[in-house]
Amino acid sequence: MLKKIIPFFLLFVLIGILGKELFYSKPNELPSALIGENIPNFQLADLFHPQKLFTSQDLKGHVSLLNVWATWCYACGLEQAMLMKISHQYHIPIYGIDYKDNREEAMAWLAQNGNPYIVVGNDRKGDVAIDLGVYGTPETFVVSPQGRIVYRHVGVIDQKAWEETLYPLIQKFEERI
Amino acid sequence: MSFSYVKKMGNRILLLQKVRMKFRKREASAHRFLKIFHTIVCILILLFSLNLAYADNSSRLSAEQLSRFQSLTKEIRCVVCQNQNIADSNAPLANDLRAKIYKMMSENKTNNEIKDYLVQRYGEFILLQPRLNKLTFLLWAFPFIGFASIFFFLKRFIKIY
Repeated sequence: MLKKIIPFFLLFVLIGILGKELFYSKPNELPSALIGENIPNFQLADLFHPQKLFTSQDLKGHVSLLNVWATWCYACGLEQAMLMKISHQYHIPIYGIDYKDNREEAMAWLAQNGNPYIVVGNDRKGDVAIDLGVYGTPETFVVSPQGRIVYRHVGVIDQKAWEETLYPLIQKFEERI
Repeated sequence: MSFSYVKKMGNRILLLQKVRMKFRKREASAHRFLKIFHTIVCILILLFSLNLAYADNSSRLSAEQLSRFQSLTKEIRCVVCQNQNIADSNAPLANDLRAKIYKMMSENKTNNEIKDYLVQRYGEFILLQPRLNKLTFLLWAFPFIGFASIFFFLKRFIKIY
């Protein structure tokens, strides 16, 4: 009796696993290989004051978000309102990396739509983005006070993603301080 | 018809032939000139196109490095257009990654160092041919496990009947 059930049981498990991969997996969302690692060292010119530098050292000492965006990226425009909310209502510091963009256009864009960022680095060639393993904008990293990458969010941060995953992660670090 | 008339016509024909020959010679030389000109233009065009092709990404690599660059970029997945390699892809990120690999090659990095760098950032997924390690062990072992289990079941099946 048991011998007859086992193959069916195995079959259903297999169908379950394959079905889950088929219908619920998101092939576009790659897991970041950098989670738990230190944020790669970088040095970027500040978007507003090109003589100043924005470096990976600036991210240390407090939990923060590092958002990679561009004016040519449609989804980044959709995310803007949420980022404004995060920086003004939740008071979480957001750092920006302007990815392969035109400086004047980016400044005009921020002036028009509001600037949620403390500092924006200007990554004209996209080198830093490659160092961070960015493959599509917008991408947001949660960076711990020790400068480790805690989480990577690919795509637009909406209210649900913020409340369910990002904010609880950040709160954990805030409690420790 | 008088004889003198025939002689006159004969002379004329001879003259005409002479003139024709002259023109033919000129034509031939003009033809030769055009031929040479065409080959020169062709060679120039070829040289220029070669120059442009090489200037694209790989102007400072040696021939050996160049072939390495070409084979390596075929092994790296374009993360935006996931079933293409970055050698074939025109996505902006693929361009950037090619440029990065090119830069690392001119810094004399080995293939393994470059792959490690990419895997650290984009995960094992970026290699089109996964390497054998702890993470991918099951993947590599699966065909053997599969064949072994098929063999095992077949053996039992045959025994029963």
